[in-house]
Amino acid sequence: MIEPDLPASAGIPPEAGSPAGRGAAVTTGRYIVVFAEDGYEPASVLGSAGLSNVASSRDFQDRAVDITDASGADATVFETLGIAVVSASQEQLSALQGTGGPHPVVLSVSPELVHHVLGPAEYVRGYRDGVADLSARLDGGAAAAAAAPAFEDSNQSTWGLQATRAVQSAVSGHGVKVAILDTGFDAAHPDFAGRSITTQSFVQGESAQDGHGHGTHCTGTACGPRLPSTGPRYGIAYGADIFAGKVLSNAGSGTDAAILAGIDWAVANGCAVVSMSFGANLAQAHPPYTAAGQRALDRGVLLIAAAGNNAQRPQGNFGFVGVPANSPYIMAVGALDQQLAVPYFSARSLPGRGGQVDVAGPGWQVYSSWPMPGRYRSISGTSMAAPHAAGVAALWAEATGFRGRELWSVLAQESDRLLAASADVGSGLVIAPQ
Amino acid sequence: MVNISVTVEQDHLSMIGDVAEALRARGMQVTQVLQSGFITGSVSEDCRQALAAVSGVQTVDEQLQFQLPPPQEEVQ
Repeated sequence: MIEPDLPASAGIPPEAGSPAGRGAAVTTGRYIVVFAEDGYEPASVLGSAGLSNVASSRDFQDRAVDITDASGADATVFETLGIAVVSASQEQLSALQGTGGPHPVVLSVSPELVHHVLGPAEYVRGYRDGVADLSARLDGGAAAAAAAPAFEDSNQSTWGLQATRAVQSAVSGHGVKVAILDTGFDAAHPDFAGRSITTQSFVQGESAQDGHGHGTHCTGTACGPRLPSTGPRYGIAYGADIFAGKVLSNAGSGTDAAILAGIDWAVANGCAVVSMSFGANLAQAHPPYTAAGQRALDRGVLLIAAAGNNAQRPQGNFGFVGVPANSPYIMAVGALDQQLAVPYFSARSLPGRGGQVDVAGPGWQVYSSWPMPGRYRSISGTSMAAPHAAGVAALWAEATGFRGRELWSVLAQESDRLLAASADVGSGLVIAPQ
Repeated sequence: MVNISVTVEQDHLSMIGDVAEALRARGMQVTQVLQSGFITGSVSEDCRQALAAVSGVQTVDEQLQFQLPPPQEEVQ
């Protein structure tokens, strides 16, 4: 592992690793120039700024570029990266930064930093910090919790939409199809009037109308409106096309047959995201969901499932990720409360492949739509966390055009890292594109 | 009779109808054939073992039951 070298300050050498010394970094005197992806040839851009002696990574063929080899050059260009290391005057740097006008050819010019391997002093400091953090957690858990950011429902929006920053997002999931496989949907709910909604029942003898409430709640979180008929906003991807597949009966029960049919329907309809807020308490992955998850990803469809509510953390039982979330190809979502802590019921990762919690979402006292005449209700569970992740995924799908594995990747990469154990929250709280 | 889900191998997806026919011939009551590669239905315990040997069958699994808590529960 390397980290940027840090400057000597007030007579303390950087090797001492003093936090007081952390300010301006040590630089080499060279600069790093990042070119736009669809820019011009880097060499010609550099040339126009007066840097004519340019070495290219192409000249080095199969071996690594040796900067000392190229040190006679004004600049070394790493062609595949679109990045150059340059020795330049202030005038030349200014010329580079001004290149391209409204469509910059040069994205950034930054001083080259000196990096070094973490020395023993840093390891000792890291160990000390780790011990200090652990003892603080053991002694003062309450104080640590009080310091964490707390969210609460406001007149404008639910705490979950604030925490995921969905309220500030510039995108709505427009043009993205989102499937919610659940107990169906209340088509008479006034908050969804005028929306693009496709419903289908896979439960024998029952229409797609939600006779339970769970499906309408999950649909509301993932795809509810920007401006509900009354009360705060609770829905994330308000511009998405809704595909509500009923795979669980009005009594809340379902089978593989209905669920696989629902996944098949979502994939055939080109849904980019499928939200599945149900699970069976089986530690072993179920082969049909492993195949379904993989084939869906191959077709650019991301399946997102609730990790499960089988923990009883106060009793020391951390539960485990159940079926179908423990398929290696289905994203498992754990729950968070308003302090971004893990609620007592939220399942922990299994040691085996696929059994991990991948990301986390708001899953405590979540306000969303409920079948009329109730209209709204607040409930808790990883069932509520999964549609938060699905809604955020729909926003990323619109913002980036990514599907399938790329969508999974950006969702995990952009999530906020948390102090909670990764076994409980994966790569953290899902965050909407801004 | 036991309810089962048959996962069809990727390279047999285009022939999933033939796989379903072969399963029927070995005693499976097929209720649905899904283009993404799943055949669901039921089979007697006696006939179940024979299904795994059908060409194109990846796995034969007993169907799982899923159950949500009642609507009035606080944790769902």
